[in-house]
Amino acid sequence: MVRRRGGATLLARAATALAAAAILVFVLFPFYWLLATSFASPTSIGQWPPALWPHPPTWVNYRQAFDDYGFAVYIRNSFVVSTAATVATVSLGALAGYGLARTPVRGRSATLVGALAISSFPAIAVISPLYLVMHVLGWLNSYQALIVPYTAFNLPFTLWITYSYFRQVPLEVEESALVDGASPVRVLLTVVAPLATPGLFTAGIFTFVACWTEFLMALSFDTENSMRTIPVGIALFGSQYVVPYGTIFAASAVVVVPVALLVLAFQRWVVSGLTAGAVKS
Amino acid sequence: MDGGSRLGAGLARRPAALAFPHTRRAPATLRGRRARVGYAFLAPAAAVVASVTLGPILYAVFLSLSQVRLTGEGFATTWAGLANYAILYRAPEFWQALAFTAGYTGATVLVEVALGLVVALVLNGLVRGRGLAMAVLLLPWSLITVVSAEVWSYLDNGAYGLIDYVLVVLHVTSQPVNWLGEPTLALVAVGLADVWKTTPFVALILLAGLQMIRRDLYEAATLDGAGPWKSFWRVTFPLLRPSLLVAVLFRVLQSFGLFDLPFVLTSGGPGTTTQSLALLAYRAMFNDLEFGPGTAVSVVTVAAVVLVAVLFIRGLGVRLGEAGDGAA
Repeated sequence: MVRRRGGATLLARAATALAAAAILVFVLFPFYWLLATSFASPTSIGQWPPALWPHPPTWVNYRQAFDDYGFAVYIRNSFVVSTAATVATVSLGALAGYGLARTPVRGRSATLVGALAISSFPAIAVISPLYLVMHVLGWLNSYQALIVPYTAFNLPFTLWITYSYFRQVPLEVEESALVDGASPVRVLLTVVAPLATPGLFTAGIFTFVACWTEFLMALSFDTENSMRTIPVGIALFGSQYVVPYGTIFAASAVVVVPVALLVLAFQRWVVSGLTAGAVKS
Repeated sequence: MDGGSRLGAGLARRPAALAFPHTRRAPATLRGRRARVGYAFLAPAAAVVASVTLGPILYAVFLSLSQVRLTGEGFATTWAGLANYAILYRAPEFWQALAFTAGYTGATVLVEVALGLVVALVLNGLVRGRGLAMAVLLLPWSLITVVSAEVWSYLDNGAYGLIDYVLVVLHVTSQPVNWLGEPTLALVAVGLADVWKTTPFVALILLAGLQMIRRDLYEAATLDGAGPWKSFWRVTFPLLRPSLLVAVLFRVLQSFGLFDLPFVLTSGGPGTTTQSLALLAYRAMFNDLEFGPGTAVSVVTVAAVVLVAVLFIRGLGVRLGEAGDGAA
């Protein structure tokens, strides 16, 4: 590259770096505050002036979250529901995405547009019909009460992602396998899917995060304490008068940190999924 | 890896000109067979979406026109015509929730897109560390909204919250402010938590758009004597328009379903100042067991979302193909 001119550019660069640093501090600070408070002793929470870091740090909130509030149950529920819904969503979504991308079905663009329209409907739209039907079926307070709607709500976006990834797999790869007499399902599983792994992973991460963070359906369909997911458990911690912030943040830290690490590890894919389509104008 | 070697083998064995079965040159029978495979592959996903999303939305319209009573093993409906909508029409709570949801959406989306643009421009100007910055921007998106609401309620606390502490230290206020207890301040508090969580998402979409703009356009603008301000309005803004519209549309649609944040942060309060349509619908259904009117509120919410989407696509020329961004 051509060497930049003089001090003005250097100043501009420094200002940009400074602005970027300020943005990152603003973004990261609530995370720091969550972690710091999770290690603060219960007596130091609620003091004025607030302590900027826990001294001395303590695990007491963590112990309380698991021993007194039974937080492990919520983790188990969230894990079961999110994992099952992710597996179902990616399997069905990849199958559909492949069908749409690689077979001469009619109404391809209508399907894609329709999928997009469906994924923008707010969850509140289906709460009462699904609640009433689940009430009849005896599905309330069960895992499938969440797995099924989570799968349905995340399918459109997964279809969109897998469709765009499958389209990029070279035709020749697939064609040779088909000519060799492999069945379509076999071709998808052994030839196409391995080449579109980033797409499947992106769809999987999106679905998992969406299920892991979902609140309204979990709150409506799984109300019993033993069936609550993490967001519901955290929202309903404590009583109406006392909010046990230390416990809430200890529990939150346990579930927030692994997902944050997952997102950071697959950052490139997540960003590509997040902005997919938004850039191909 | 494995895929690579397969790819090589495939290319070596087949001349590139040999057409794949589904292209026009393939015989009609093969095409038909491939199409049947395609429909079979699409069927399971279509069945799930139809029975858990589309069907229930239509059923919700029917429920909103009925009187719904829960019974021990099920529920009973009787036709009520527009009675539930008449209840909403007469309920100040409904109009307040509608006004709050619409006004809140307008205000927060405006702030988020403006700030998101600034953030995107700053990060786009970074010489190094952009990847790291983008990774950090993903964190609020991946955070459980309920958790972020708890963190903000702690920051906003009127007796020992950090925000009040900073304001007192900076002599902006002489004593702690009860953020969540005052109508206007509560609106600001919910909006601030929303801006913190979703601006990074908007910024990522805009940043992706910025990176698509060719460098030589700026060079040409500079040669024509345009300064930074002029080249922003002449080059950046017009070319970023599609990304901006996608970000706005996506955020507006999402914001109309606002629920988690006010549920945890303010419980819709003080009073009903921050009660969104979704929160009102939820409470009507699960606190008061008024499934008819509650469903009517949710149908109005969907109608508002559809209306906004149609206005956007018709009026501002957002092409749907562009809007495949994060549905999460």
